[in-house]
Formats: sequence, structure tokens, C-alpha cells
Amino acid sequence: MTHVLVPVAILEDESVSMGLSEFLAPVTVTVLGIHELPEQTPPDQARNQFEDRAMAVLEDICAEFEAAGGTAYSRLVFTHDRRKSIDRVAAEIEADAYVLPGVGGKIEKLLVSISGQMTVEPIVDFVTTIVAGRDIDVTLLWNESASDTDLTFSAVRTRFADSEVACDAKTVSGHFMQTVRDEIHTHDAVIMGEKASSLASLIFGDETERMAAESLGPVLVVRSPPLETTD
Amino acid sequence: MSTGPSGANIEGETPDIEPVVETDEATYTDEAELERTLGLIGGLSIGIGTMIGAGIFVFPGLAGAEVGTAATASFVVGGIIALLVALPTSELATAMPKSGGGYYFISRGLGTLPGTVVGLSLWFGLVFATAFYLVGLGFYALDALAEIGINIGGSPELIVSVIAVLSGIAFTVLNVTGTENAAKLQNGIVALLLSMLVAFLGFGLAEVAGVVDADTPPGTDENVWSAFPILSTAALVFTSYLGFAQIATVAGEMKKPGRNLPVAMIGSVVIVTVLYVLTIYVATNIFDRATLGELGETAMVEVGRELLGVGGALVIIVGGLLATMSSANASILSTSRAIFGVSKDAILPSWASRINLKYGTPHVALGMAGGPIIVLAATRQVELLAEVASFLHLIMYGLICVALIAIRRDEPEWYDPDFRVPGGPIIPVLGAIASFGLILFMNPVSQGVGIAVMVATAGWYYYYARNITLKGAL
Repeated sequence: MTHVLVPVAILEDESVSMGLSEFLAPVTVTVLGIHELPEQTPPDQARNQFEDRAMAVLEDICAEFEAAGGTAYSRLVFTHDRRKSIDRVAAEIEADAYVLPGVGGKIEKLLVSISGQMTVEPIVDFVTTIVAGRDIDVTLLWNESASDTDLTFSAVRTRFADSEVACDAKTVSGHFMQTVRDEIHTHDAVIMGEKASSLASLIFGDETERMAAESLGPVLVVRSPPLETTD
Repeated sequence: MSTGPSGANIEGETPDIEPVVETDEATYTDEAELERTLGLIGGLSIGIGTMIGAGIFVFPGLAGAEVGTAATASFVVGGIIALLVALPTSELATAMPKSGGGYYFISRGLGTLPGTVVGLSLWFGLVFATAFYLVGLGFYALDALAEIGINIGGSPELIVSVIAVLSGIAFTVLNVTGTENAAKLQNGIVALLLSMLVAFLGFGLAEVAGVVDADTPPGTDENVWSAFPILSTAALVFTSYLGFAQIATVAGEMKKPGRNLPVAMIGSVVIVTVLYVLTIYVATNIFDRATLGELGETAMVEVGRELLGVGGALVIIVGGLLATMSSANASILSTSRAIFGVSKDAILPSWASRINLKYGTPHVALGMAGGPIIVLAATRQVELLAEVASFLHLIMYGLICVALIAIRRDEPEWYDPDFRVPGGPIIPVLGAIASFGLILFMNPVSQGVGIAVMVATAGWYYYYARNITLKGAL
């Protein structure tokens, strides 16, 4: 069953929009309540004081997912490093994707951004699982300079067509991120893949963060499959 | 057989018990997870960063004035005692990787009364230590101002006190408002200090090897190579070793605690001991005892000036400012964690560990640390502050060794350390004897103040927390 992690800054009033809970109804969701603390505060001390309140908020959020017809679990973490907690929990539950919740209403127009990952198939599978048979229009932006991907552009289009995903697929030459930024505003949510860190991402912030900054609506990041390692 | 903590304090609050599962990356309680985010570098940085402020920048002048080059032996004695304590502390910390460090081991190993005395003495010990670092900062700031030609007017003593007090206020406020990236800054400062010191000492040793006979003026006091003075100097400078146990206070946030805690604790003691011995050797071969006595707390600045001219002096001044700042800041944070550890077991009221939602910081605990620190820093009594801080810490160190022996003898079922001290009870026994023994060589006034603090904390136990049971409870 496809599993999605939804990290929520639990005590900063970040919440999950009704549109998102509806959107994620076909998958299993784990809501991860995160309370990020300053270095002066040991996590145990925050747990002591805020655990009950945080759990109450988490229960409300899970109830929203259940009301929309989905399945929702919850976890709560007190941390100094939000990123590490998300990565750890995502690995533990073997999440297929995680979400930056954003705000907004019903999700009817979805933007899928493929900027050049090697493994496109997980993104395609994910989109198909969520969208198939529903009234959601998909725009696919495919970076022309993407090479060595596991599925070709036309293979992806065929997949979407076969699965009844209404997709307007375009290749983009030139400045990919600029095109994405322009298109974001006419869409309700974005799905993208996880990209390995590069020098550019270290300087300019990684692609996910930049996307989240541009998009008001939710950003869903499909995780790359774990690398095969030999022990 | 192990039971949980039990009983209630005089206000009816009970210890906050949570069954937990500890892993390398997080602590899992019933409903929440506590992320471990501190790595080995962070641990070493806390230990080393807390210790070298005192040992390198403040004490060489004071120690050298007492016994000359024999102070190398004093620092070695301190290093050995620290190591004898670091080993048992590592074992206990890997078995109980929780916030609160030494207090936690002693309350679980020896019971609530020793735990209360140690937990609260640790709070005061850190307060005295932080005040000491701030006064050191004051002296260095005064030197810095003089070096760049600013003359404030007024007596130097007053200026030192004022700078110390203002710095104390600044650190407290910064921590209450939750400074971002404080840990990364600390790591950077420690890395910078270590590189500066290695270069400086390398140069210094080369110089000394060449000039060791030429520079000693005639008619100076000989170095004092006899046991009692060496040991009382060791008692004075032991504040230079107070940082390693602080690593145990953040054990609850350390990744892979089973490996990182012992390496960080033992590693930081070994590294600083080497640096201290080299520093005091260089300093006492450049100046004689009388001169060092006159130069006092900032003697190292003049050592720098002798070796490398104005550049050398500036390097030491910058180093001294950074090191004392980093020591003070790290100690304020430890104090707040120590107060939390004690308050969690209902030995202090629960409002002592309150966190404000605006900045997310434990403002009450920080205030309980900052307030007394500022008052003590104003007194400017460097040697008294240092010795009382060491006294209170040495009590804890000795009791940690005793707690290890007690826990190993009864060995509760949950006791499963990743690191075991080799050699049976020899090291903890020696550690306990050495820790308590070093106290005997201290100034009587320091001993008096220390004992008064302990009596007060025991009184608090009888008034407030008499009915709480913590022994043997995880």
C-alpha cells in the first residue's frame, strides 16, 4: 500500500488543508507531528510540557484524513533537526513520498515536475495511484536535458493514458525551474522527485525548498528508492 | 529487581516516569520520539570547549606563580584524576544515556539524598564555574581594550567586574531568546582555538628548546618540585577539567551514545591534558614565577608577546576571549539541563523546568542559572570561584565512582552499558579516593563554602523531597 509521510509543525499551527486530506484519500498516511526546539532545550523537557497538547492536535488531523476516506497513523517527535527526523521516520515506515503541507483548497490541477532524476518510475507510479479515475488534471513538465532516465518521455505519456490519467505533457527546453515557477501559480499542488544534493543545491537551497517557497499549495516529494548497498 | 521512581515531594508532585526504548538515533517513549542530533564532533566540542578556557588562558599565570614548571605535574595530576573519573562516567552514561548526567547516575545508584545533594550542588558548581569563566573573560577584555589603546578610566578591578556582569546578562538573554546555530558556532570556535593553540605551542616549544637556559634571570625562585605545593596547585587548576562530565549532561541527545560518549569524554580529557602540559611548560620557561605572579590571569598574553610580538599577544587575546565565552555559554546550557534533570524527578518544583512557547527555551532554569552567576561574577574572586566549582564537581565525581561500584554490585536488570571499565573496581575506587582526596588540598575558605552548599542542599532534601525513592529505578 502506498504510504505517504505528512510532517506537520505541530505547535506552530501548521495544519493540513481539507483539500490535501481529500487528495491523499487513496493512500495510507502517517502524520508526523514535529516540534523543532532551540538548542537550549533538551527534547525530553519539551515532551514533558507539550506532549499532551501535541497529541490532541495530531488526533484532530488524523480524524480529518479518516473523514475524507483515508487511513491515517500518527507519530510525534521532538527534535533539534527537523530534516533528520523526517528522513529517519520516512525510512522507518518505508514511505513512498513525503509532503510539505502548504495551504489551499481542493486539489484539481496537479503539476508534475521531472527535472532530471534517474528514476522516474516511482514518480509515475505515485501519480497514477493518486490520480487514476479521479477528476484531477495533470500537467507534466519534463526537462529536455533529462538523460538516462529509466522511462522515456513517451513511455510516461503512454503510462498515464493507460491508467486514465488526464495528462497534458510538455517538454521544456531552456530554463526549467523558471518554467516550473511560472506554471505553479495555475496549479493546486506539485509532485516532484527527490534529487541528490549538488553544489548548486548547497548554495541555493535544495530544489524541494525552492519549490515549497514558490508554491502555496502542497508539495509532494517522491522518495528515491534506497540505493542497493553491499555490507 | 527494578522498580520505577516513587514517592512525592512536599507539594505532591511525583517524578515523571516514562518507559523508554533507546536507539542510536532516537529515544522512543510511549507516544513521542526524542531525536538524537548531537554527533561525536559536537560532544568533543562541548568537552574541549568548556575546558580550555580555564586551563590554557587563565591558569598558567596563576599556577606558574605558585610552583613554576612543576605546574606541569599539577596539570598531569588533574588529568589523571579526570581520566579516572571519565572512565566510570562513560560506562554509566552508556547504560543511562539521559539528560542530567552525573545527577542521574548518583540518584539511581545511591538514592535520593545523595542525588539531591549532587544534583543541586552541580547546579551551584556550574554557577561558580560560569562566574569564573566570565571573570576570565573580563580580564581578557580589559587586556584587549588596553591593547587597542582604549582607556576607560576607573579602576581595572571595577572594569573587569562590569564586563563580567554585562557578559553574564548578555549570555543569559541570548539563551533565553534561543540563539540559532549556537552549536555550530561552538564547534567552529573550538576548531579555531585548537588550530591556533597547536600552531602557537609548536612555535613556543621550538623557541623554548633554543632559549631554555638563556632567559632565566638570576636570583629567581626555583621551581617548587615538592608534593604538597604541586597537589594544592592541582586542586586550584582542577577547574580546567570540569568539562568532560558536561558531555554526560547531553547524553540524551547524542547519536550512537554507546560509542560517542566514551570517545568524547576520554578523548577530550586526553587532548586537553596534553595541551595544558605543553602550555604551562612554555609559559614557565619564558617567565619566572615572580613575573607570572604579577601578570596573573592574563599571563599568557605576555607569553604570546614574548614569542611573537604584538601578533602573538593578539592571538592569545582573541583566543582567550573566544575560549572563555565558549566555556561560559556551554556551562549556562549545562546548568539549565541539570536543573531540568532534577526537576523531572520532582526534587525541584515543576515550574523550574518550564518552557516558554514564544522562544521555546527553558527561561526559568536559565534565569536560575544566570541570576546567581551574575552576582558571583561581580565578586571577581577568581581563585575562590574556581575552587568552589571544583569542590562541588569533585564531590560529584567521587560519588559517580561510588555509584558505579554500587550499581555493579547490585546490577539491576536494565543495566547494560555499551562500554565497561576494565580492571574491576580498581579504577572507580582510585577515582573516588583521588577525587575526595584532592579536595583536602584546597583553600579552607573554598572548602567551607563548598560544605555550606552541600549542607544547604541536604536541608532542601529533608524539607522538600524526603519521600521520593529513586534508587535502582530506571
